[in-house]
Amino acid sequence: MSRTSNSRLALRHATLVVIAILMLVPFYWVIKTAITNENIYAYPPSLLPREPHLYNFVDVWYLIPFPRYLLNSIIVSAMAVAGNVVFNAMAGYALTQRFPGRKAVLALFLSCMLIPFQATIIPAYLITAKLGLLNTYFGLAFPMLSTIVCIFVFKAAFEAVPKSLIDAARLDGLPEWRIIVRVLLPLSKPAIATNVILTFIWSWNNFLWPLLITRDPNMQTLPLGLARFLSYMEDTTGALYAFAVMVLAPSILVFLMAQKEFIRGLTSGATKG
Amino acid sequence: MSAAITGGWWGQRRNRSLALVACFLLPSLIVFFLYRVIPLGWNVILSFQAWSPLKPAVWIGLENYAEMWTYDDVFWVALKNTLIFIAASPFAIAAALGVALLVNSDLKGATVYRTIVFLSYPLMAVAVGIIWRWMYDERGGIINFALRSAGLISKPLGFLQDFDWALPSVIVAEVWQILGFYMIILLTGLQSIPQNLYEAARIDGAPAWARFFRITLPMLRPSLFLCVVVGILNSFSSFDLVYIMTNGGPGHATELLITHIYKSAFVQSKFDYAAALTVIQFGLLLVLTVAANKAAGGNAGAVERD
Repeated sequence: MSRTSNSRLALRHATLVVIAILMLVPFYWVIKTAITNENIYAYPPSLLPREPHLYNFVDVWYLIPFPRYLLNSIIVSAMAVAGNVVFNAMAGYALTQRFPGRKAVLALFLSCMLIPFQATIIPAYLITAKLGLLNTYFGLAFPMLSTIVCIFVFKAAFEAVPKSLIDAARLDGLPEWRIIVRVLLPLSKPAIATNVILTFIWSWNNFLWPLLITRDPNMQTLPLGLARFLSYMEDTTGALYAFAVMVLAPSILVFLMAQKEFIRGLTSGATKG
Repeated sequence: MSAAITGGWWGQRRNRSLALVACFLLPSLIVFFLYRVIPLGWNVILSFQAWSPLKPAVWIGLENYAEMWTYDDVFWVALKNTLIFIAASPFAIAAALGVALLVNSDLKGATVYRTIVFLSYPLMAVAVGIIWRWMYDERGGIINFALRSAGLISKPLGFLQDFDWALPSVIVAEVWQILGFYMIILLTGLQSIPQNLYEAARIDGAPAWARFFRITLPMLRPSLFLCVVVGILNSFSSFDLVYIMTNGGPGHATELLITHIYKSAFVQSKFDYAAALTVIQFGLLLVLTVAANKAAGGNAGAVERD
């Protein structure tokens, strides 16, 4: 690499440290507010939490049906993750085969990627109503059961498996579905991980769809609970911010644990499909 | 498979594998047809009709569009705000390119910086909206506190309640969340540039700025195009953030087309009219994407159709 003088290196680090601090301030401010007991509207606000404590986090469980929201979010995310892993693997495998109409299916998938979900909300709502799925877990998960980006992740992983391995399994007389389960899937673990992580984060964060199709408070997910809490409690407590921290924690944890798979999923979807 | 069905149609290996392919594609195709393809067509049909949930549909031609064009002031405000929202994304992309260039090297700790910048991307937009509302707060917000401490303003400023400041404030929060995603796309692009191009340029004595403008930028065109498309799509997907931070207010100062669509359909039950709005926004998205593609040099964003 090029010779970079020490002062230029220091300048780079200094710039990046400033950027990193700017990016982290919102995280700090919400955590600080969540663990502070003082009147959060006092001016000037203290930069460090005085007498930090966790009452606000306990409060959340009593102020709103937090366990219910949590349960709903977990159920819907689990359905979306399971659906994506199974259906995307199936579709990804199908796309590695030769069949008439393959070009058309690929073109259809690629053009569907350009249709933002938000542009379909009105008919999507009407269709879901016609199917009788408003206020149901299945209705919440249905549009998210398969994702085009993730299909291409599986397709790429399957194509990377050496052909000789598959041919050998075929010669042994294994039926097609057992080749998939015994040979292809075990060799595609990173693709499975990418699917799980991306789908979990997307469905966990999803707000607009549950907002449209759940009127029953018992069926609402965490983002809706957070929005409701905001409209009820805005001016009273730091519990709102404790709630926000609790909702953010799982996606941050998943992201930090599996950053590589997450980024690979996004970039492979972005560049390849 | 048992021996009883070895003959006939099913017996042929080719037909069997065709049936397998069809079954395997079916679930995904159902999802995409029900929630992408059919809605797109239905939107267009609905936009030419007068319809509400309790009345039969009547064909009214362009009336919904005429209403939008002549009577709906909110539509024009929302259109303007959406265009401002999209126009802000090149600045965010430029900033992300700066960060990407800084962390794209054997710099010690580059991965830590990268993780920090990217950390805001996978967050729930509802929570992000709540955090930024709180940061902008007149009383307890850190932004007012910092500005007042620095002596830049003398009395607290209600960013999200101010007609001039509300939209820029929402855009800043949006950029904070999306910056890391742009950076990741650009980093992938930077890493795919062959290093020997730079070495050759260095041997020829090309200065750093020339290497940047003659090698880096042209080679990054596909990644930059992708970022621009993400920026355009973002005018749709920022619904969550705007809904939480301002819900389009004050007045309609932060109304985007997507929030106008949502309110028309699900607050006022004007599904037909909202469908017409959706058609306009989707058309806008297509036009801008094609224009960006042209600007990037024709097929810069072409996907490999192996």
